[in-house]
Amino acid sequence: MGSSHHDTHEDQGAGPVIISVSDRHPRSKTIQVVRPESADTTFLAATAKGLGITLKHFAKNLFLPLKKLSGRAKAGAPDPERFKNDIETVQYPEERVIYPERFRGLHRLTKREDDSVRCVACMCCPTVCPANCITIVPEESTDSSIEKRPAIFEIDELRCIACGLCVEACPCDAIRMDTGMHAHPVEDRADAIETLESMLARGIRSVAQQGGQGANWRETAVLPGPEKHTTPKNGPPGSR
Amino acid sequence: MKNWVVKLFTLTLLVLGACTEHGQLKKELKDAYGQPRKDESVPTASCKADDQCGDGAYCGLDGTCTRDCRPVPAQGEEQTCDACNTKGYCEDKGAGGWAAAILDWPGTKWIFLILVLVMPLASILTWMERRQSAMMQDRLGPNRANIGPIKLKGILHFVADAVKMIFKEDFIPANVHKGLYALAPILAIAPVFIAFAIIPFGPTIYPHALTQTLDPVALAQSPQSFAFADAIRMQMFQVDFGLIFYFAVLTLANYGGTIAGWASYNKWALLGGLRSSSQMMSYEVAMGLALMGAFLVAGSLEPGYIVSHGAVASMSASNPLNWLWLWQPVGLVLFFTAAIAETKRAPFDIPEGEPEIIGYFVEYSGLRWGLFFLAEFIEIVFVSAVVATVFLGGWQVPFLDADGFRIGGWVDQATGVSMGGSVLKLPHAIVVALQFGAFGLKVVLLCWFQLMIRWTLPRFRADQLMNLGWKLLLPLALANIMVTALIKLIFMGS
Repeated sequence: MGSSHHDTHEDQGAGPVIISVSDRHPRSKTIQVVRPESADTTFLAATAKGLGITLKHFAKNLFLPLKKLSGRAKAGAPDPERFKNDIETVQYPEERVIYPERFRGLHRLTKREDDSVRCVACMCCPTVCPANCITIVPEESTDSSIEKRPAIFEIDELRCIACGLCVEACPCDAIRMDTGMHAHPVEDRADAIETLESMLARGIRSVAQQGGQGANWRETAVLPGPEKHTTPKNGPPGSR
Repeated sequence: MKNWVVKLFTLTLLVLGACTEHGQLKKELKDAYGQPRKDESVPTASCKADDQCGDGAYCGLDGTCTRDCRPVPAQGEEQTCDACNTKGYCEDKGAGGWAAAILDWPGTKWIFLILVLVMPLASILTWMERRQSAMMQDRLGPNRANIGPIKLKGILHFVADAVKMIFKEDFIPANVHKGLYALAPILAIAPVFIAFAIIPFGPTIYPHALTQTLDPVALAQSPQSFAFADAIRMQMFQVDFGLIFYFAVLTLANYGGTIAGWASYNKWALLGGLRSSSQMMSYEVAMGLALMGAFLVAGSLEPGYIVSHGAVASMSASNPLNWLWLWQPVGLVLFFTAAIAETKRAPFDIPEGEPEIIGYFVEYSGLRWGLFFLAEFIEIVFVSAVVATVFLGGWQVPFLDADGFRIGGWVDQATGVSMGGSVLKLPHAIVVALQFGAFGLKVVLLCWFQLMIRWTLPRFRADQLMNLGWKLLLPLALANIMVTALIKLIFMGS
């Protein structure tokens, strides 16, 4: 591709050839317009050039091995994928791309040490939810140190726009979107509603404490999903 | 008009055409091989081999030259026979005779060519096109269709496609002209099959000489001798007007598209059909004239003759420099361009016009639509076969003569046989296999090249298409004829 791209960049850098500039209106210029020459209308040269480009791609993708999906070379390091082909296809059920760490997937509710739900039904998330997809019905908690807990906690995944505001708003690290899962396809609209039970079934124990105490959640969390995330050493403390 | 009138008329036309065709074929065969020989006045002379008799006579078992039909030598005894076959032998009613007769029957060759070579290649092309375009666009393409664990990189997709199209509902929209609607896909695909009759898809096979090295000198001098009996020519329809026949027949394929557009009762389909005709008219002329240069050089429009003789007589026909690509480079480019336009595929897919009118087959579904599609792919194979035959030496393997690989040497002008040089002798069977393989390889590579072009170039605008056809290809083809004729007149003197 080298020469053709090079030419294109030069053309763009030089701009049109200016024949004359108007005296009264300096922004009015007469430029030279490049018309296709009669030789170009045979399309032979263009055909040969295009065939060269497609042939290069074809040969490279036919004879060189597939590159790894996660292959990302560090800057400056020799690129291990240099001799692999250009095919970008992800063969989905067998191969999956690694989502970014902050990918907002299906919701889940976290648990306390005794596996009870961590949510205190403060109603922050349904209040902030722009799609109005969270329904919480609070009830009295049996634990005397906790005021409320949700009797019903439903999220309509068909209405959810995955904005993540509920996670931001939660004062207790009770709701998260870090499952790395997509909303499943359903045959019935009612099946798309996540319940307290289903979100708790995906839930993990959160040891975060108010005021930034407790263990780093990134070190204790076991994240589900098709690909294991790499755990960065210097992640921010997860407690709020 | 009532449907049945149209049907009856079409049927009559088809039957008449078939009868004329058959009569023509019989006449051709008669001309080619002559009358079955009965006793004529031949000077009686003692002889030991056929070449001592000459003039079509042969050396009989009693050691004299004769024109009687010969007994089949395998039986080794004199016999009187009632009829001679076309090659001068007594008609052999045994199994061997029947086998030879069946193998030499054009229908057998047609079935072999279509079912063994063309249809599988055209079917696999449907997969190859998607896979190759994916490779050119940094994708993987279809690689999923499987029978159990057998995936074969997705080749089985063509089986899946065929099954899908067969079991789809055969939907006929209201208001279509039912007779023409049903006829159009057949009209689109049948001419392509018929046109394959002129393609020489392999060398002439001499069944009695398969295990030994062929002696081309003996073949040239006494083609009637027993070693060359029962020859199977790998060409169905050997006529001097071969390439004209191709133009005449393949042009009929355009009626398929036009009639489909007319019968569909759909304005977009009609537009597609009309575009199909107009495009055909713009390119048919240039295509025919592009081949005229080749005709001037080779001296024949018979594809088999072009393959077995090459451009000039002083070089062996197996020499790549004697193939017409070197002698008609302009003709090759012009013909290939016009032929791609004939296949109605990008960059010349105006009749289909996917983004705007869908094309003449917009109202078709299921297997009827599949026939249009298959016709397109078979046309690709056919165009490749014609280009390979006329310009790239057909079934010739570079430097492989009838008796083996030959470097150096010369061509004997009397017999047209390559002589001398350093020869690597090969049995006839291996030579034949190599030449079959060469033809297949050339066709596959040309198909691949057509797919490359189809997935590289965007579609021409209608005006660009017409400009290219009428203002560029046609004058260039005419100029090519003039220059070729002048050169031939000046340097070859005839």
